[in-house]
Amino acid sequence: MMPWRPASAGPCHRHSRAMKARPPVLAFVVVLVVVVATVPGQGRQGSPAPPRTERSAAPIDLTGYWVSVVTEDWRWRMLTPPKGDAQSVPINAEGKRVTEAWDLAKDNAAGLQCKAFGVGGIMRQPGRLHITWADDNTLKIEADAGTQTRLLNFDRAKHAPAEKTWQGFSVAQWVGPPRARGAGPAPTPFSPTVPGGGGSGLRGGPPPAAAISQGGSLEVTTTAFRDGYLRKNGVPYSQDATIVEYFDRLPPSPNGDVWLLVMTMVDDPKYLTQPFYTSTHFKLERDGSKWKPSACSTDAPAK
Amino acid sequence: MHSSECGWQTGRHAALRVCLLHFAFCIALAAPAAAQISLVGDWVGRYHEDNQDRIPGPDLGDYTGLPVNDAARRYADSWDPSRVSLLEHQCEPYVSPHIYRGPLQFRISEEHNPDTQELIALKQYLGTYQQWRTIWLDGRPHPPEYAPHTWMGFSTGEWHGDILTVTTTHIKAEFFRRSGIPSSDETTLVEHYVRHGNVLSHVMIATDPVYLTEPLIMTEEFVLMDRGNQNWLYNCEYATEIDRPKNDVPHFLDGTNPSLKEYAERYGIPLEAARGGAETTYPEYMDTLRRMLAGGTPGPPRTPVAQTLSGPRGEPDPSTGPRSSRAGSRGDKARPTGEVHTFHVQGNVYLLAGAGANIAVQVGDDGVVVVDTGNSQATDKVLAAIRQLSAGGGDATARAVNKEIRWIINTEFDRDHTGGNEAISKAGRTVNGNPAAVVAHENAAARMAQAGVADNARPFNTYFEEQRDFPFNGEPIFIYHDAAAHTDAGSMVFFRRSDVIVAGDAFDTTRYPVIDAKNGGSVAGVIRTLNRILELAVPSKYLQEGGTYIIPGHGRICDEADVVEYRDMVQIVSDRIADMVKKGMTLAQVQAAQPTLDYDGRYGDAAAFIEAIYGEKKR
Repeated sequence: MMPWRPASAGPCHRHSRAMKARPPVLAFVVVLVVVVATVPGQGRQGSPAPPRTERSAAPIDLTGYWVSVVTEDWRWRMLTPPKGDAQSVPINAEGKRVTEAWDLAKDNAAGLQCKAFGVGGIMRQPGRLHITWADDNTLKIEADAGTQTRLLNFDRAKHAPAEKTWQGFSVAQWVGPPRARGAGPAPTPFSPTVPGGGGSGLRGGPPPAAAISQGGSLEVTTTAFRDGYLRKNGVPYSQDATIVEYFDRLPPSPNGDVWLLVMTMVDDPKYLTQPFYTSTHFKLERDGSKWKPSACSTDAPAK
Repeated sequence: MHSSECGWQTGRHAALRVCLLHFAFCIALAAPAAAQISLVGDWVGRYHEDNQDRIPGPDLGDYTGLPVNDAARRYADSWDPSRVSLLEHQCEPYVSPHIYRGPLQFRISEEHNPDTQELIALKQYLGTYQQWRTIWLDGRPHPPEYAPHTWMGFSTGEWHGDILTVTTTHIKAEFFRRSGIPSSDETTLVEHYVRHGNVLSHVMIATDPVYLTEPLIMTEEFVLMDRGNQNWLYNCEYATEIDRPKNDVPHFLDGTNPSLKEYAERYGIPLEAARGGAETTYPEYMDTLRRMLAGGTPGPPRTPVAQTLSGPRGEPDPSTGPRSSRAGSRGDKARPTGEVHTFHVQGNVYLLAGAGANIAVQVGDDGVVVVDTGNSQATDKVLAAIRQLSAGGGDATARAVNKEIRWIINTEFDRDHTGGNEAISKAGRTVNGNPAAVVAHENAAARMAQAGVADNARPFNTYFEEQRDFPFNGEPIFIYHDAAAHTDAGSMVFFRRSDVIVAGDAFDTTRYPVIDAKNGGSVAGVIRTLNRILELAVPSKYLQEGGTYIIPGHGRICDEADVVEYRDMVQIVSDRIADMVKKGMTLAQVQAAQPTLDYDGRYGDAAAFIEAIYGEKKR
């Protein structure tokens, strides 16, 4: 193998000096790369860009009325399952003991009717979500099941209050790919875009630019919540659990349906043997005409 | 030497500068586009939803959470799990809209264009049943509707940010749920792959116009495996588990399935609710459930509960469509479209679609064999397509150059099979210099003569045996007489080396078999012919796919598994009507009982089919 030779040590010394005499070439390259990589997506021309808010930076539009379509876990979600039925949930011995000790009457008497409507279980309740921006840096999720409200805070300066609540304190951030410069705003509800580049939506490859959902997710981490139930029949999660959720607005379906996917991870060493994963899907509705708030209430098991 | 070395080095520096500049500009141009997230790796399922369905298996009678129609309920009500013990069913895998619902580990890898490094496809190996999927990302179109279907279907994908969206068509019929909830071969699957860290959410949205009233959405979570691959192998080899007659297709007749109420009773679910339906998947249905559990009225009763659990039938399910309005809807697809399309089946055999009945063309050194000639109106286009094939236009490796049409074989005597006989025969030439010979069973020639078909359009090379064979283009060609199937004049053609069967009208994927009783047809003959196809056909893999391809009289190219599905349908409907006849029901009562309800969405108007079977069972 030829040893590496310093440029000044050999007969090419003259050319090496010539190279040294042209630092602007490399400097130009470096500057160009740096400039290109750091130019923001908007406001390259004209007036300064408005202050960036989480609302304006949203890569996906989560606002609107969304209805849960219960095609999975139907028996455990639409009805109150039998006492002790924790099928699918990776509970440990303590979780099993607590599940089997569930007493609906006792919960009701203690004013704990909302225990199945807390942050760890609310997404699994059949119902509707109404998602709006409370302000430029706070997304609000209302659930008509149990009339619950969640605030997703993008402001990292905020801290969880001392008092624990059913919905806890949620910190949110956008995650996912950076959006292309010049890309339009995030697709609005029912925007006439469908995946596929033609051929009745049956072609592969990149869809037309206007039809591309730029993707991106909302990551939500929640703390300061009270003990609650993963299932209506008292399968528990503890206030010490870690609950992380991802909200994804899926590309529009060929029939125009728009779906919201909420993937929930509950990691609770107290009651679970492994993280508990569920993904709940909601379909976008045109308006709130079917919005029907109800109080926290759990029916007695059917059997 | 120095000069040369220095020159090289100088050039190298110059090249380096140019490369750096190119690199800089490439970076500049590439900066806006974010690279997609990688899905590569081995993924293992988590079963924290629908565990009962996905691991041990669902209860019979559990249709909850599914937006099914009455046809699906009827299919599932008659489903006998022992049907999977039939030899041809034993090794069938799940289809792509179902396979992710079972225990599963799968591996994703990438295929790049070696020259450009462009990502052109994602490959999936699924441990369950050793299935492979290719998700094409290069913009290619889906195959035509007459192309074969597979368990995994044909998939194309596109990225939406970090979400991979995949559209799959050409999926075989199977199940959405193992409890017998069917999925048809008209299902389209849209998937979304959403990765967050080491967790992959897999969203499936299935649309099935035959069995679903709304798209069915389901999701599963998979976790990236830290250590190695534990994918399963699945070399299925079938074995006779139950000795039974060839025509025995296990199923439950109306009111005889003992398991339908067990699930609802075990969990205290109102029976009506356990039978699924789109309305049961929305939050409003909780109020209905409460009323039913409180002993109140559930609302308008859905007819199938009464139908399949006890007896009398109500009106047809609107979601399936009025029977009259659907009449011929599938068959319409087989009508001439004005264009004749050529599709290479395999070996030396091609399909010409769009000329009426399907046409098969075998091309080789000896010349051209044409099986059926389509409608007369399409003859010019058929001839043009044949000439293109005989000139090697269909296949770059074809050795035939402007070979003559030597033989024509008619599988039926109907005009949509024989309309081009005269013109295509005249366009060909036997070795003796005569127009190409037309071969058919002697009954076909007799029927055509009775119908006044011109001499030059009738077959004159007839056979009367059960079977005839001859070699052509280096392969044996078998002609089997389909005695008393669609008619008494049918033939089935088997190209043994190409491994292609041309079935004739006993097998028609666009409609129920047309049983022309006046011309000697019978349902028994249709079943016999379908069973003969199953005897001849051999799948290429353990897992019931590919291998022998079957060209039906009308419709898409099939393999053995598709014929099994069709055979089961004909046998089950025949059994149901036989049972009704045994109970003394009139034809009108049988028609009203809708013995084909579970298949009407797929095969259209059943009136003639039912009438033919009824007449036969009455005799």
